[in-house]
Amino acid sequence: MKKDYDIALLHTPDGVRDYYNGELKLRKNIEKGISSIAESFGYDELRTPTFEFFDVFAKEIGTTPSKDLFKFFDKDNNTLVLRPDFTPSVARCAAKYFIPGDKCESPVRLYYKGSVYSHTHALMGGLEESGEIGAELIGCPDAYADGEVLALLIESLKASGLDDFRISIGHIDYFRGLCEDAGLGDTDEEHLRELISGKNTVAAGSFLSELGISEEAKEKLLRIADSFEDHGSLDKLTEKVSSEKAKAAVSGLQEVYEVLTAYGYEKYISFDLGLLSKFNYYTGIIFRAYTYGVGSPVAKGGRYDKLLGYFGKEAPAIGFAISEDTLTEALSRLSDKKEKLSEEKTVIEFDKNEKSAFADALKKAQELRGKGKKVILSEVKK
Amino acid sequence: MNSNDYITFALGKGRLSSKTMELLSQIGIECEEMKDKDSRKLIFTNEEKKVRFFLSKGPDVPTYVEYGSADIGVVGRDTILEENRNVYEVLDLGFGKCRMCVCGPESARDLLRHHERIRVASKYPNIAKDYFFNRKHQTVDIIKLNGSVELGPIVQLSDVIVDIVETGSTLRENGLTVLEEICSLSARMIVNPVSMQLKNDRIKEIVEKLKGLL
Repeated sequence: MKKDYDIALLHTPDGVRDYYNGELKLRKNIEKGISSIAESFGYDELRTPTFEFFDVFAKEIGTTPSKDLFKFFDKDNNTLVLRPDFTPSVARCAAKYFIPGDKCESPVRLYYKGSVYSHTHALMGGLEESGEIGAELIGCPDAYADGEVLALLIESLKASGLDDFRISIGHIDYFRGLCEDAGLGDTDEEHLRELISGKNTVAAGSFLSELGISEEAKEKLLRIADSFEDHGSLDKLTEKVSSEKAKAAVSGLQEVYEVLTAYGYEKYISFDLGLLSKFNYYTGIIFRAYTYGVGSPVAKGGRYDKLLGYFGKEAPAIGFAISEDTLTEALSRLSDKKEKLSEEKTVIEFDKNEKSAFADALKKAQELRGKGKKVILSEVKK
Repeated sequence: MNSNDYITFALGKGRLSSKTMELLSQIGIECEEMKDKDSRKLIFTNEEKKVRFFLSKGPDVPTYVEYGSADIGVVGRDTILEENRNVYEVLDLGFGKCRMCVCGPESARDLLRHHERIRVASKYPNIAKDYFFNRKHQTVDIIKLNGSVELGPIVQLSDVIVDIVETGSTLRENGLTVLEEICSLSARMIVNPVSMQLKNDRIKEIVEKLKGLL
């Protein structure tokens, strides 16, 4: 063919991509599996718009930093943002439609799937549009709610075909309690959180020395970075700290563990008190799901009891989001899963020069389609 | 070969890697394959200890670790700061000590006292930008160079440079001097966050043993 088109037209911009064939089937399968699990837990699907007013994702809300958001303007010059994260959107929507009074009286259970958008730095290889599936439970403050959401996450991952994974749970108040005890201000706490969540004990150590914190408090704070615990060693943690807040955090984790034991899911659980999120809205437990073969977590989540407050409602809440792209990548490395998805298609051919050949072929095709077969009707090749 | 059974190390080529291997041999992790200088292999395995090693350019080490192609990486702190990857920085290995500095002719010292726009040449544009924008609150033009950064002020491409200083002899020979120190540097051990969770026992053991040595 003569090249009379611009070859650059075939490209997609950096950070976005096409999905097709086996990979798309795998994604659809994941979505189907997770949706049916969420439905079985009594969660209803919610769809929020792709872009919203900037204020929904502003700094006070505590989501992705402003510089990483995709922004543009509407005709009245309001700043709009492509959602970087579903949770603020779901909180806004729940506050508007699901919670009639100022306080959440009856729990709201919602799940969602769709794309989220944020800038990744040039040539870092990350996607700027990525798929997320998640669920939020609004209006329940207790460990049963934490356990329910974690169980939903575990069953969702299992339903999508992942067996070998681990969920790491931490609690933001453990870190906050120790920071309060050490007398750290908000800015210092935030800086320290960045260092601890990067397990950067070297820099955290010199930062704390600069601040003139006592050796004892410093030691305690630094130890958070590698507090990987199993259930048995959680008790010992409470003995080591004096902060009431930190103690409450540990006993909160224990309660969640007990609930998960009732579900029979304790084998998936481990604890990491150094697990802190870049999202500022988390107020209680924080968790991530990890699996082999991919370099980033397949799911993230946590409790955010204050977020609904920004939308005028008093409602504790907890939720998670599964990264569809990471999960698909992890699953496609388990080769046997791929084969299961390739299904046979039947091809029925007809000769257009032959009388009634098309009508016969069509009849046959429709009969097979009615039985649930995949049928392609095509002209016979000469 | 299932990569989940191995601990994979990515090491920056050169002095860093030989120093790291020295340190690792002291805690009983060795790799005979790597000692063969004529080998053209890219990846070296110690089947008995279930560890693998590969060498790469320094700036690529955090990339391999971020994506989980390597569980552990050893690289200079300058690279970690410049690349700003999502990895855990767990250990200061203590060798490869040097400083990241703003350098230039003595006459340029005055330019750093004001908030006027100046030109800065560097192999480390991100570190330079972070220092001037966020710590000094000075607006600067950053020019990325790939080597012999000292030339910048000499041929008047830039007012000052941001570069690594070890002994300072190259600077002195060219009539330049350290004007401000940005931070101190040394070799660091970085770990992929997922590996840290899923291979915690083995990684923790390595980190603890090394900590004991240092």
